[in-house]
Amino acid sequence: MTNKPIPVPAPGTPLSWHLPHPYSTRHLLVVIVLLALLLLTGHRTEMDRMVIMTTQAVGQLLGLSSDSQVVRGLSRVGQSMWPPAITEMEEVNRLPELDRDRLPMFSYVEKRQQTEQRMNLETLQLEAQTETIEVLVKPVGYLWTVFVKMLETLEIAIWGTLLAVLLSAPLAYLAASNYSPRRWTYTLARGTVSFLRSMPELIVALFLVLAYGFGPIAGVLALGLHAAGFLGKFYAEDIENADKKPQEALEAIGAGKLKTLCYGVLPQVVPQYVAYTAYILDRNLRMATVVGLVGAGGIGQELKGRFDMFQYDHVATILIAIFLFVFALDQLSARIRAKLI
Amino acid sequence: MIRFEEFDKAWPDGTLALGNINLEIPRGQFCVVLGPSGAGKSTLLRAVNGLIKPTRGRVMINGAELNISSQRLLRQQVAMIHQHFNLTTRMSVANNVLAGLLPVVSTARALSGWFRPEHRAKACRMLEEVGLAPEHLKRRAGDLSGGQQQRVGVARAFMLNPQIVLADEPVASLDPKISRDILSLIRDAAREHHTTVVCSLHQTDLAREFGDRIVGLRDGAIVFDGAPAEFTDACIHSLYSGAQWETPSEHSDAASTHLTLAHA
Ligand SMILES: Nc1ncnc2c1ncn2[C@@H]1O[C@H](COP(=O)(O)OP(=O)(O)O)[C@@H](O)[C@H]1O
Ligand SMILES: [Mg+2]
Repeated sequence: MTNKPIPVPAPGTPLSWHLPHPYSTRHLLVVIVLLALLLLTGHRTEMDRMVIMTTQAVGQLLGLSSDSQVVRGLSRVGQSMWPPAITEMEEVNRLPELDRDRLPMFSYVEKRQQTEQRMNLETLQLEAQTETIEVLVKPVGYLWTVFVKMLETLEIAIWGTLLAVLLSAPLAYLAASNYSPRRWTYTLARGTVSFLRSMPELIVALFLVLAYGFGPIAGVLALGLHAAGFLGKFYAEDIENADKKPQEALEAIGAGKLKTLCYGVLPQVVPQYVAYTAYILDRNLRMATVVGLVGAGGIGQELKGRFDMFQYDHVATILIAIFLFVFALDQLSARIRAKLI
Repeated sequence: MIRFEEFDKAWPDGTLALGNINLEIPRGQFCVVLGPSGAGKSTLLRAVNGLIKPTRGRVMINGAELNISSQRLLRQQVAMIHQHFNLTTRMSVANNVLAGLLPVVSTARALSGWFRPEHRAKACRMLEEVGLAPEHLKRRAGDLSGGQQQRVGVARAFMLNPQIVLADEPVASLDPKISRDILSLIRDAAREHHTTVVCSLHQTDLAREFGDRIVGLRDGAIVFDGAPAEFTDACIHSLYSGAQWETPSEHSDAASTHLTLAHA
């Protein structure tokens, strides 16, 4: 090795390079344009009004201002939500099938006074009429209804996940560039996967309700189709990135693509596959509570119905049930995860 | 019998991995391909089962030319043992060995894992022959030691009673003692089934010990071909340093002997 001396310029040589400031007027201009854009979109999304209303609400809570629309609205709903509905009551004369000697379990028949404003056809005036009606009371009837709906939600989530796994398995095979039999099958599968993934569950469910009617079918299909897109993409990418060595060993003896996939790739990617599928199940459990809002079955459908009829005490019961459900699932999945890893 | 006829392999980037290879390996021979890293040993071996296509020339196996149409059937008679074992590490040892049968097993059986009883018995017998114990059957292949993994690799290779076994540096990642064990296994199994072995190595002592014949490869050309006894220290020196040597020409394999040097 030869030692080169470090070149030092002669004293007095003018410096031909310099270190500029970290930002210039151009950066300032960009910042101003971004700020203007933020202000514009902020106004369009009513962020200014939001700040004012929230300030008012906080002010009222602290006793500083007198009135707040937000607090008024929330407290009105809050009052009608308490206490959460537990019992279920039905008018007996609307139940022609009812056998008074063999009432459903835990239920009893009760007489109630009911006051109603009725139009008197002779005087054409509203008159308060009090009548006594018989009602069938189920003390924990509504809890049971919510429980059944919650169970349906769970089933929708599980079937949606099953459907997603079944659909995505062939999709993943075709969407893996090193296993897809033809160029066009690859393109087609990739396109399908992206399409499925880009369709939000709620919107898909909205259309499927039109096709299959209200109920869990639309929910299961909506969850399954969207998740199939997700799983198809991630399964395929794991196939593509799998260790090449075992695949080469099987290719070398002429095992064929499908068998190579089964014996050289799938065993290697099982941990990732389990993780993706668990994520999808988790996601579907949450989404299944929501797709009912558009009529696709489960607890959401019950929630929407009660909300639309202003029965906020029933809504309260449902919200508590959803909270407990998701909380329990979180605990469960955390425990399973701790055991698996 | 394997025959290379005027075989060339050039990579797209222009490197000539193999140039004008003429080589004949008779049935039952344990032929060691020796050479430094990058000499083209892997390329030579992988040409035998069509993992590498020639740029010129051809490979004949038992008189039939290896090409796209004959490759599928020929590959069933050509097993391969790999430097990195190439096992499916998360799969059981038993399934890794059974995977050696995949070309002849129906898709339904392969996908369901429901192999014929005689195939299961064969897998057990092979595993016993390579010195593994019944408790290894259900173990994940990746949990075994390197030497044990290569034993599984050998068992897998002999599942289909291959006519040819290609062993690409089978012991390059193992220590000397285990290397000898593995090479003995391959040699004994090959003798028993009258299998041709083409085994690439870079350790000269192992080549002399196990080879019926040594083919010295350097920069894509055959620079030595002869019996281990003829492979003198001078040959080693020139194989690894590039110096020329004179080789006596009285060895048996006259047909395929190359005394020329790669670059004169
Ligand atoms: N896929 C490839 N593309 C380009 N060059 C390659 C490829 N594989 C190997 N080579 C080159 O071919 C030559 C021979 O490689 P190889 O047969 O693997 O040597 P060896 O197994 O003796 O170490 C080397 O110069 C290597 O760089
Ligand atoms: Mg190599």
